[in-house]
Amino acid sequence: MTLPVRRAPLRLRLGLLALALILLLCALLILFPPDGLERASWAQFIGRFHLLTVHFPIALVLLVPILEWTGRNPRFSYLHSSIDFLWPLAMLSSLAAATLGWCLARSGAYSGRLVTQHMWGGVSVAAACWLCWMLRGYFHGPRLAYPLALVATVGLVSWTGYRGGQLSQGENHLTEHMPVPLRKLIGLSSGSTALPRSNPAYFYGAHVEPIFITHCDSCHGPDKQKNRLRLDTYEALMRGGKHGPAIKAGNAKGSELFRRVTLSPSDDDAMPPQGKRPLAANEVKLLELWIAAGASSTLPANAIKDAPTNEVPVVAEVTFPEIDPAAVTQSRAPLAQAVGQLKERYPSVLDYESRGSAYLALDASALGPRFGDDDLAALKPLSAQIVIADLSRTAITDRSAPLLGAMKHARVLRLTETKITDATISTLGGLDQLESLDLYGTAVTPASLKVVESLPKLRHLYAGATKIPADASVSDSLKGKLVF
Amino acid sequence: MSDSTNGATKLPSPVPAGTSHREERFALLQAQTRRHFLRSFTAGVGSMFLGTLGSPFVSTVGAAERGIDGSPRLEFTRDPSHPLSVLPPQFAGRAKRIIYLHMAGAPSQLELFDHKPDLTRLDGQQCPASFLAGKRFAFISGVPKLLGAQYPFHQSGKSGQWISDRMPHLEKHIDDLCLIKSMRTDQFNHAPAQLLVQTGNARLGYPSMGSWVIYGLGTENQNLPGFIVLVSGGNQPDGGKQLWGSGFLPSVYQGVQCRSHGEPVLYLENPSDVSRPLRRRMLDAVDEINRQAYAEFGNPETVTRIAQYEMAFRMQMDATDAMDIHKESPAVLAAYGANPAESSFANNCVVARRLAERGVRFIQLYHWGWDDHGTSAKDSLNIGFADRCRETDQPIAALLTDLKARGMLEDTLVVWGGEFGRTSMRENRNGQVMQFIGRDHNPGAFTIWMAGGGIKPGMCYGETDAMGYEIVKDPVEVRDLHATMLYTLGFDHHKLNYSFQGLEQKLTSVKPARVVAEVLA
Repeated sequence: MTLPVRRAPLRLRLGLLALALILLLCALLILFPPDGLERASWAQFIGRFHLLTVHFPIALVLLVPILEWTGRNPRFSYLHSSIDFLWPLAMLSSLAAATLGWCLARSGAYSGRLVTQHMWGGVSVAAACWLCWMLRGYFHGPRLAYPLALVATVGLVSWTGYRGGQLSQGENHLTEHMPVPLRKLIGLSSGSTALPRSNPAYFYGAHVEPIFITHCDSCHGPDKQKNRLRLDTYEALMRGGKHGPAIKAGNAKGSELFRRVTLSPSDDDAMPPQGKRPLAANEVKLLELWIAAGASSTLPANAIKDAPTNEVPVVAEVTFPEIDPAAVTQSRAPLAQAVGQLKERYPSVLDYESRGSAYLALDASALGPRFGDDDLAALKPLSAQIVIADLSRTAITDRSAPLLGAMKHARVLRLTETKITDATISTLGGLDQLESLDLYGTAVTPASLKVVESLPKLRHLYAGATKIPADASVSDSLKGKLVF
Repeated sequence: MSDSTNGATKLPSPVPAGTSHREERFALLQAQTRRHFLRSFTAGVGSMFLGTLGSPFVSTVGAAERGIDGSPRLEFTRDPSHPLSVLPPQFAGRAKRIIYLHMAGAPSQLELFDHKPDLTRLDGQQCPASFLAGKRFAFISGVPKLLGAQYPFHQSGKSGQWISDRMPHLEKHIDDLCLIKSMRTDQFNHAPAQLLVQTGNARLGYPSMGSWVIYGLGTENQNLPGFIVLVSGGNQPDGGKQLWGSGFLPSVYQGVQCRSHGEPVLYLENPSDVSRPLRRRMLDAVDEINRQAYAEFGNPETVTRIAQYEMAFRMQMDATDAMDIHKESPAVLAAYGANPAESSFANNCVVARRLAERGVRFIQLYHWGWDDHGTSAKDSLNIGFADRCRETDQPIAALLTDLKARGMLEDTLVVWGGEFGRTSMRENRNGQVMQFIGRDHNPGAFTIWMAGGGIKPGMCYGETDAMGYEIVKDPVEVRDLHATMLYTLGFDHHKLNYSFQGLEQKLTSVKPARVVAEVLA
């Protein structure tokens, strides 16, 4: 090494130091490329910060042409002086972001075309920044050298950033929601891009490959090959990954891939990993049949009898209603005070129908004769809010009829084994929400059927042990609704 | 370290006279010895542990209002003196109460509901090797023979479901039942399998589903327990009293076992010389002492004890009345086949209906004796099984008839089932041909049915293979059944939880459970 007699200018010394750093990183990337294996969690933890730091150098690089352009106006010429500071800053920060990115890729089981391109793009950005920095302040080469380098750097940053977006958001993240006319304009197909890749005349192309494309492609496809496993082509599938061959032809239970897709979703080894939709039973069956039949790529599509289809059955699901406490309080507010007082007076008898409802459920059946007309009268202010009223075996009589008739929202009314008669039933004509009326063991007669007929939503009338005979002739609207 | 540094009394004042404030604090810190540290450290760790235990009575400071998924938690805190008071469900459910008919010993699905003509055709053939590979059996050894259904099947009702000739009364309700033929468990011995069905966990120490239900909803009748257990068949179920235990929930939520014959709870009546007012005065004195104890120690179990004494006092009146089936007409007793003079499953079914009418939330009937291995006449499919069917068929049908006529099947969920299924092969204990016919345990497939309470009537869910040995369609895990039952009551099974040992404990445990939406009405 030749030692300069005169100390080199500060910028050159710093520049050489920075170049050394870039070369060091390059050596690291060449010696330890991302190979799709998962590694220590520390490196992964640090690596995740790549996503946070990576936007800083992008902004800096894009800032430079703005400052260069604006600074040409004499009023803003002072902006030019900060550019000499921006370049090294952009270079250092892109170097840091690239290093973190390497940590993420190396430890987070990434490999494939996209990640390689993105990685070298990042290092190139650092190198381009270095070049611009040197060109602008030190070398003063040909007139056009610096502007060209600047344009190239901006282009490089954009390309690298786009590749990064593809890595995290999916390959078509920019065009995914592009309106159809625009798509046509730039020559993109307007439909979905998932096309069958292998010949669907063969079992593999018709039934097996679609399963891998649906479930596995995002981590074991052309762009990412976690644990070096790739499942989007027959050759790659049979080659296997880090854990050896994925498929043992003729032996489904002995195939690593089959073992993993049949594990309980909570198992650490289960694939697809927890949180992703597991394979449906028919998809597992297809894999099993195909592997058992020799896992050939040229087995005819209809060679296996009784093979299920690829259609995933729709699974019925329930939804649990969400409760919004503020909305509940608001809907309960008008009667909250009355409800509170009466709940205290009749504990475990009166309460809200559910935690999200402002309607009330009344069940006095456990009190039996200890609950009578006067008690029901005390609940009068709340009548219209009561949707379920069970007064079975209580001491209520026809005196309560008007109160029952005022339960406008009642869906269920139970008056089993009480002293009420037809007189009470005659007041119930306005209960147009009533679905179930229980008169078991009361003294009501067929005369009540007239009123009941008019209830539009009624589904069941329990008339056992009453004076209504089981063979009573009923109108069409009551047919099939009487239960004895 | 010398002893002279230990204890504040032996230490000279650590703060020399005339020091500044900062020096004073520093000196005090210096005076903390290793022993001081260890003492306060252990107390700290202990209180951290206690803090995780939690309790619905003691509101933990800063208790999270949101569960781990970020949605608001449901609050189950109650007035300590009324731990069983009614709380509304999370959303309006279709069922208000559950009657669970547990056929202890595991009845054979292949002799009742799961019709397999191919198995009958292959009766006596050697069982295929694939049935045995990797399987463990309780008693089968070597290569057993396939065993066809021991009783004829026919289609019945508008729904055209298959049923054997052993349940002629229940058959009249076939269009009210929802059969699930694809139940699955992972336990093949009675006690853990019963625990799994009843508590959601095969190990001891977890609350039974009845306890979860009354913890979540309380009970309407404050004069009766909210969770009542009746046992018949001459033996306790193998899982023991843990089947209705409250586990880590406060013990006030445990099931109360009652007798269907004689005094419902032993020693519930006052002794002959003790009047009711005298009993009241005695209880008042005990209460007073208990309240003092609670004020001093704050142990929620003390509150439980107070509530239990009070309930027992009220029960002296109401329980005796509720359990007294003499009050039913002879016609009703005849419909159930009940005889008040003895103890039987039929009597328990009458009591179950009476308890349901009185607002008891969870009623559980165990009938023992379905373990038909073929080891003796009473444990065989040809004799004992037919007897068990006779003992239970008419009462269950009468219970369903009664509930339906009274309109109570609308909001009462009735569940019937064992703890696992039985094999498609004839048991060959020790490799011998046995004198009686029986089947071994099969955790891989069994049948249960549900009726009422928001369940779709007249349907069948799930399917087993042609031999009735393994499930081929729509498997239902025990935890899925639990989630479905809680859904009919108006709960998301994730939300009915209780913080214990740092986990939001729930009936369905930690594995993902699915509400079987297909069977909901």
